[in-house]
Amino acid sequence: MLTIKAALTGVFAFTAATTAALAEPKTNLLNQWSEGSDAAAIAKLGEMFTAAGGKWEQTSIAGHTANTLAKLRADVVAGSAPPAVQLKGPEIAEWNETGKTANIDQIATAEGWDKVVAPDLLPVMKPTGHWVAAPMNIHRINWIWGSTKAMEQAGIEGLPKTWAEFNADCDEAIAAHLICISHFSQDWTDATTFEVVVYGIDQSLFKKAFVEGDTAAMRSPEMIKAFEQYRLMVSKYMDPGIAGRDYDSATAMIAKGQAVFMIMGDWQVGIFTAAGLKQGTDYQCGQAPTDWGKPGFILNSDSVVFFTQTDPDYVEGQKLLAHLIMSPQFQTVFNQAKGSIPARLDIDLKDFNPCQQQSQKDLQASIADGMLVRSMAHNMTILQKYRGAILDTVTSFVNNPKMTAEEAANAMADAVDAQK
Amino acid sequence: MRLNVAMSNGLSPNESIHAKASLREKLGAWVPGLAIAPGAVASLIYVFGFTLWTLYISMSNSTMLPTYKFVGLKPYFDLWSNQRWKIAYGNLFYFSAFYVVLSLAVGLALAIAIDQRVRGEAVWRTIFLYPLAVSFVVTGVVWSWLYSPDAGIEFLVRSLGWHGFTFRLTTNRDTAIYAIIATGIWQSSGFAMALFLAGLRSVDPDLVKAAQIDGAGPARIYRKVILPSIGPIFVAVVVVLLQFAIKTFDLVVALTRGGPGIATTFPANYVYDLMFQRGEIAVGAAAAIMMLAALAVVLVPYALWTVWRSRREAAHG
Amino acid sequence: MVDATFDLALDSQARGESLRFALRRLAIYAFLAVFALIYLLPLFVVVANSFRELPEITQNGLIALPHSFSLKAWPQAWAHYCVAGTCEGVKRNFFNSLYMTIPATILSTLIGAMNGYVLSKWRFPGSETLFVCIVLGVFMPGQIALLPWAYILGALHLSNSVYGLILVHVIQGLSFTTLFCRNYYVNIPDDLIKAARIDGAGFWRIFVKIILPLSPPILIVTVIWQFTGIWNEFLFGVVFTGGTQQPITAALVALATSQMNAHPYDVASAAVMIGAVPPLLIYLFGGKYFVRGLTQGAIK
Repeated sequence: MLTIKAALTGVFAFTAATTAALAEPKTNLLNQWSEGSDAAAIAKLGEMFTAAGGKWEQTSIAGHTANTLAKLRADVVAGSAPPAVQLKGPEIAEWNETGKTANIDQIATAEGWDKVVAPDLLPVMKPTGHWVAAPMNIHRINWIWGSTKAMEQAGIEGLPKTWAEFNADCDEAIAAHLICISHFSQDWTDATTFEVVVYGIDQSLFKKAFVEGDTAAMRSPEMIKAFEQYRLMVSKYMDPGIAGRDYDSATAMIAKGQAVFMIMGDWQVGIFTAAGLKQGTDYQCGQAPTDWGKPGFILNSDSVVFFTQTDPDYVEGQKLLAHLIMSPQFQTVFNQAKGSIPARLDIDLKDFNPCQQQSQKDLQASIADGMLVRSMAHNMTILQKYRGAILDTVTSFVNNPKMTAEEAANAMADAVDAQK
Repeated sequence: MRLNVAMSNGLSPNESIHAKASLREKLGAWVPGLAIAPGAVASLIYVFGFTLWTLYISMSNSTMLPTYKFVGLKPYFDLWSNQRWKIAYGNLFYFSAFYVVLSLAVGLALAIAIDQRVRGEAVWRTIFLYPLAVSFVVTGVVWSWLYSPDAGIEFLVRSLGWHGFTFRLTTNRDTAIYAIIATGIWQSSGFAMALFLAGLRSVDPDLVKAAQIDGAGPARIYRKVILPSIGPIFVAVVVVLLQFAIKTFDLVVALTRGGPGIATTFPANYVYDLMFQRGEIAVGAAAAIMMLAALAVVLVPYALWTVWRSRREAAHG
Repeated sequence: MVDATFDLALDSQARGESLRFALRRLAIYAFLAVFALIYLLPLFVVVANSFRELPEITQNGLIALPHSFSLKAWPQAWAHYCVAGTCEGVKRNFFNSLYMTIPATILSTLIGAMNGYVLSKWRFPGSETLFVCIVLGVFMPGQIALLPWAYILGALHLSNSVYGLILVHVIQGLSFTTLFCRNYYVNIPDDLIKAARIDGAGFWRIFVKIILPLSPPILIVTVIWQFTGIWNEFLFGVVFTGGTQQPITAALVALATSQMNAHPYDVASAAVMIGAVPPLLIYLFGGKYFVRGLTQGAIK
């Protein structure tokens, strides 16, 4: 009897161990990159996953981010949370609080992520001290792009370094019958341009108002000054057609030399490249104007968050996926086409575009100087409910010429206070 | 066989037949109820269960995921302190009024025109009906192309030589909502037309002949005889149009993205944004309940009026 | 509606009348033609752009007489373009939509017909109220229903499956189908039913032998309405399916609303046409029956 029992126990133990060892890694990445170069980049990740022996599946949801988040919530509520989801910023912390995220400390410590990931990203990926997300890239928001053709026509030598130079350059552009800023008004683009203005005027104002969400800072005279600069830009240096324009029309304005400058994040490199434009001959890149003279960096990072799974195949898949995302190979290939730089600081960017190489240098300099901030417009700092209130106010300001800078600053602070 | 059973129970043949019939009748009386039960129960859960759940959630502390701690009316206060909600709610009423009334008007006009024994009726009818076959998403996207100053109608007219022409409905805060109304009418007036055409065809010809004999002209005939007799059709069309209006979401996303700024934001869009983008499920649920309340503002008076009217008819008849 | 009397044309008053008549006809046709142009403009734009080359579209605008011709957008859209997760065009999404829409349409129509039959011919205390309660469902916005459906589908283990999506569409469709069918069946004379019952026919016999044969007009109306509504639905189709099961609306949104990439207007137009073909065909062939079904008292 005992022998049979022992034998059976042994068989069960052996089967269990073998099953765990034989668990085939599989995954289903929920993401919102459903079309174009973004989709191609995710496809590369899938290729790497399959090549490493895993079973790759992905669900890419089109349209607004809200659609992806709606599917995530529906899946969580239905009890089948996806194994991997593209999430970022404070949302990682919020989902962590629900207790449904999975801990990937094991692989993170084994591969030494704490040493190679940019320090400002660590609290985002480890909201309570444990790794729950793997960062895929670092985007820089505070770029200014110049149309070489238009700059020549307006007689502008180089990209402006301060806001005063910027305004002077724009006046020259207008004298040459050109549009100074190519812009298309949507809530995120209006906010992107505005946060670049605020950051360039006063970095500590940005920290207080947009990173910490301090409403007193939002009402301050410095913020009103920022709104005044923005009002000047919107009313004088942009054209009336910003409300109906779409992204490619705005890019076309730079390509054709109808507009001189564009304030946009580094993914613009990918868009220029896809449109056949070359850095230097067709467009130039530079740090967006700052009044304080040092290298600065507004950071945005896409990441993949892992949710707890019961199926061992999915658990194995999460480990494999996390490993692949942080691998130097993926970080290089993924970021080269998109215009961003790797989230790992130890990767050589020799084959990257000169703008991207500059981006990495500025990243390290701004970390050293303490000038690095995370982006509010791209959902890396405050909670979505506050960010939503700010975005509503900023985009209203852009589209309502009668709103004064003071009204806007107070409206923004009031809207955020109402959410508290 | 049942008859035999009944008889063997001591009943006379006549009584047995009655017994057999009433037993089968009794069983038969259950069948309709059973047949409709699954569908009816599912529908009632859908209509009332979902609404009650949303009502409870609107008074809970739900943020990222639904949680069930009761907090009273706080989410409603949070909701109404939002500028964007106030704009959205106002837009709903404004849009619905124009959309329903104008769709009715255009549909009726088209139906009357086609009813004049025009040639090629099938062609006209198909032309006006086909927009209904297209999804609101696609409609919004294609019309956004048309409304775009850079590549749409304004660009076309300018390239034809008229250089000062502007057609910028969607880029102006004050007129963007008219773009949404116009596109909505384009989509739905074909349905109104189809229903009115059906109604016009089913008007009693004797009534019309009598009016003609009395010397009434065509306009008078329409106003006094035909339109009143298709009254019920107005109701049906309004019901369908209203439910399109309250669900307005895809059209806004595709045409204006709620802009310029937040000028054309709609309740359905804001509910979606609150619940899924901003992780404010309780406030989103409160907004959803307010949407249903807006609907009740229209439906409840109508229901009361129908009841009052049928009581009056019963009293008179 | 207006009688013409051509044999009195010699009479001057009649001549005036026939002139007015002609002008009236002209006005009617002009009115219809103007509206028809406005209605057809988007269709023209989409069809034309699906046959133009993308650089020419970007240069000459979206509404222009085509200066280029190319068929390549169509096979791109159908089988090659990278959209919604794969580089296989919208082919798979198209078939996903078919597999989902056809069963949902048939089921919701049949159940709705039966509901309409019961509520109009087998009245019981509260049947009117039940009818109104069911019909109220037409007003339910999808955003409200999303999380409750997620709970229910999760409990039934049907989340992320096409069967769950079919269930959702059937139950939501019942509100419309019951409305249409019940209002139609109310016009079937009760005497027919009474006579059948006296002859000994029961509930199902009457349904199959009497009601259904009289139903084609309203069934066509219901099928058209349901097919179009379910085929064109985006939110639930995207949220309640996963990976490779997404419907065609997901692919269309991906193509048409690419935020950070150039709009592929030509492929997007071809994809829109592909996605619109099934409902358009149904309206084309069923349109006649649509109006006829409505004529025969579908509305009350």
